Amino acid sequence: MDTSSPAVFVNAEILKMYLGRRVRAVIQVIRNDAGVIVGQSTDGNQITVKGAQAFPPSHFVEVIGIADGSQSIRAEICTDFGQSFDMAAYNGLCQLANGKFKNLFL
Amino acid sequence: MYASQFDVGSASLFSGGGFMPSQATQTPDSGFVKSRSVQGVLPFTVKQISEAYHSNDDKSNFVVDGVDAANVRLLGLVMNKTERVTDVSFVLDDGTGRIDVNRWVNETSDTNEMAIIQNGMYVTVNGSLKGFQGKRHVVAFSVRPVTDFNYITLHFLECIHVHLDNTRPKVNVPVGTVVTPINNDVKRYQTPVSNQFSTHSGFGGSESNIYKLVLDVFQEPASLAREHGLHVDEIVQRLGLPMDKIKDAIEYHVDIGNIYSTIDENHYKSACNG
Repeated sequence: MDTSSPAVFVNAEILKMYLGRRVRAVIQVIRNDAGVIVGQSTDGNQITVKGAQAFPPSHFVEVIGIADGSQSIRAEICTDFGQSFDMAAYNGLCQLANGKFKNLFL
Repeated sequence: MYASQFDVGSASLFSGGGFMPSQATQTPDSGFVKSRSVQGVLPFTVKQISEAYHSNDDKSNFVVDGVDAANVRLLGLVMNKTERVTDVSFVLDDGTGRIDVNRWVNETSDTNEMAIIQNGMYVTVNGSLKGFQGKRHVVAFSVRPVTDFNYITLHFLECIHVHLDNTRPKVNVPVGTVVTPINNDVKRYQTPVSNQFSTHSGFGGSESNIYKLVLDVFQEPASLAREHGLHVDEIVQRLGLPMDKIKDAIEYHVDIGNIYSTIDENHYKSACNG
């Protein structure tokens, strides 16, 4: 087993604290711009995703990759979560996983 | 009394859910024969399993948060799936870590279940936790694809919930220790029930002051910056208060989640990010 490279649950705000680290975020696709996905994070801000294939607008997509900017992720794995996903619950999980219960995740 | 009502409440609440052990299975009698059927399946993160205490006298005896973690539920991405004649193995990455999973395939139904599992898929694994030559792995009873992705959020919230439930102060012990110092005038007018709530609202003046002083030390930027947090002795030195009072306060803050223990039982760190 190996816990050396965890992917931290992030929203746009928490993303800034993990520059250069492996993160996971769920975004709702706004548009695909020449190989870059622009999406809305679970806390309502914009995040751009590089290096991913295009996804249909309005779909929820989970991105696992490296945080390479304060609002940008370089994707390694993307999973289409479809058209129905509870962003508020996921955002709450991001906060718990980086706050009180960080020791269960990192 | 409040305590007994609480026990009944939690037992009936969770008995149908399947993932919470009942009160009886959490603390089996020494003469009680452990069998698979009485153990609950507990949701964990791989990180929690990596930190599980492994007692060597029993080959499959793992303890997480003081609870026997023989059967576990994990959720994550499938990687490096390998099919052999008798079994299928893969690495499960749940974002907190990676662990090897093995699934024996005896029946056609097992083969069918594993045939649809592909690399890159989110799956729920129910299985038993094994340790072999220091390596931990899971022998799965079932591997099922996640179809509703809200289940991912749910799984990790369940991990937090079960962690909270297993680490919350057991009703009898901490209440007594915290309540005793409250001065007698107050105590005379309190029923046992309200005593219990007084611990949460910080009723006794001097007690809550110590709690606050201790927490303040943990939340100083210098303390937050230290990877292993602070040693109990440092708190005692800083505040010049008796060790037992400090330990009471630390126990209180650990219980409600303000601080957590780090490298050993004497080092604690604030759960705040700073």
